[in-house]
Amino acid sequence: MIKYFTDIWTSITTILGGMGITFIHLIRARQDNVTLQYPEERWPRPERNIGFDHDNYNVIRTRLHVDMDDCIGCLKCERACPVDCIKIVTEKAPERGSDIKEIKHVGVTTNGTRKAMVVTRFDIDMSECCYCNLCTYPCPEECIFMTGGPNSSRHPLDYEFSEPDRDNLIYKFAKSGTKEGLDKYIGEKSAES
Amino acid sequence: MTVDFLFDSLVSLFPSWENTDPFLVISMLIPLVATFGFITVYALVVIYAELKVSSFIQDKVGPMGQGVGLHAGKWGLLQPIADALKLLSKEDIIPSSANKLLFILAPFMIFVGAFISFIALPFNGSIIVSDLNIGIFYILGVGSLAVIALILAGWSSNNKWSLYGGMRSAAQIISYEIPAGLSLIVVIMLAGSLNMQEIIIYQQGGISNWIIFDNPFMPIAFVVYFISALAETNRTPFDLPESESELVAGFVTEYSGMRYAFFFLSEYANMFVVSVVAVTGFLGGWQSPFSGSLDSPLMGVFWMLSKTAFLIFIMIWIRWTVPRLRVDQLMHLCWKVFLPIGLFNIFAVAIWTVLFG
Repeated sequence: MIKYFTDIWTSITTILGGMGITFIHLIRARQDNVTLQYPEERWPRPERNIGFDHDNYNVIRTRLHVDMDDCIGCLKCERACPVDCIKIVTEKAPERGSDIKEIKHVGVTTNGTRKAMVVTRFDIDMSECCYCNLCTYPCPEECIFMTGGPNSSRHPLDYEFSEPDRDNLIYKFAKSGTKEGLDKYIGEKSAES
Repeated sequence: MTVDFLFDSLVSLFPSWENTDPFLVISMLIPLVATFGFITVYALVVIYAELKVSSFIQDKVGPMGQGVGLHAGKWGLLQPIADALKLLSKEDIIPSSANKLLFILAPFMIFVGAFISFIALPFNGSIIVSDLNIGIFYILGVGSLAVIALILAGWSSNNKWSLYGGMRSAAQIISYEIPAGLSLIVVIMLAGSLNMQEIIIYQQGGISNWIIFDNPFMPIAFVVYFISALAETNRTPFDLPESESELVAGFVTEYSGMRYAFFFLSEYANMFVVSVVAVTGFLGGWQSPFSGSLDSPLMGVFWMLSKTAFLIFIMIWIRWTVPRLRVDQLMHLCWKVFLPIGLFNIFAVAIWTVLFG
């Protein structure tokens, strides 16, 4: 008989104790919550320490990036690509090695090479890329590279390049309107002369 | 009361009409549609509250989003609407070996059982669809209609899990009606009436006159009624009929789409009904807790809904705290704990009323 009442008492107190714990969690929901709402919030990127210098680390194959101001339009990377995901179209520059301000064309690369070509289209289809890194070796100006690793000083490492639309995976590195601007510039030049 | 009021006002608005039958139909349809709309809106709110409270208790954030479209709106406010649209647009599957007539009938019957309880629920002194003189008895009576629908659903699905769920729910609901009824008998003894409005008017005059504080045995009766009501609405920790870890989904295993939505809706409607009965019987109904202030008819609706919302919050809170009971524990709790306590309460309150009342 005593056990009957102690059992009732035990069940009441334990249920109330459990409900107290859940209520504390309910009112402390903002501090305790463990969910990261990913696209709006991100974890802070941890300090990267891979045990040795980044320059000794051969290459991190994340995604391709092209420094368009250094590109001379030699098409060597397009030919090297085993899956043909690089598409380049070039036009002859009106004057070798001179800037064209209208289309933000830079005449001389950082290595001192005077450009003979204007690159009007430089598309890399990243959904086709096989990350073989073969396009970066023939580049005479070292302007096409994989981001990250030894190149992390030249372009920030970005590891989140998923896209809701597949077309956005075609990276267009040529400055927009280059073709039309160049045609207009050449037309004006010929009209002057 | 509302039907009569609407009928009288319609007749006085159009005195030239000889035939008053259309007025009767209209004055019956208006409360019907209003009640259905109320249940739908209330269910959306409670589903959202349940999602959020459960998430907060488990240290999650619940449905969240920034805007309409891929996300569920600010703080996930559109989540219940998205759920409702999903349920409405889902395929309606009837198993080939099911008893089609009973299978189709069951969700409507369970919803009718929950729906017709609403006509006796008082929202304030005048807003009550029908002021029955046996209101509380009527609600207890039609509450049992759910048993038939649950057994129908379990039997007609032609599925082991559904049948187990239906049988369990029948045993559970029939058992727990007895302690719930015994607790309400104590209320009826004190108020001297089965009419919902008269029970509320008996508790007039502030928080100290509420039946739960009438004598030291009433809190016990309230707890017994509340837990029995939890069991009658098939909610955790008494969700044996649809225990998902043992019976997949119990009697709703074979239901999908709109028919599942009816079971879902009636569960939440039942939660509201038992909460309103608990508020009416123990917590003063639409009376203000402060004697003589804040008791206008509109505040009456506010007090009624806020007290009900508090009890529904406690139901959600219990659901996400307490684990499910075993079948034998369930029956032990009902027949060996609640029944003796309920009977003892009746005698104790009767003696108390004679000595001090």
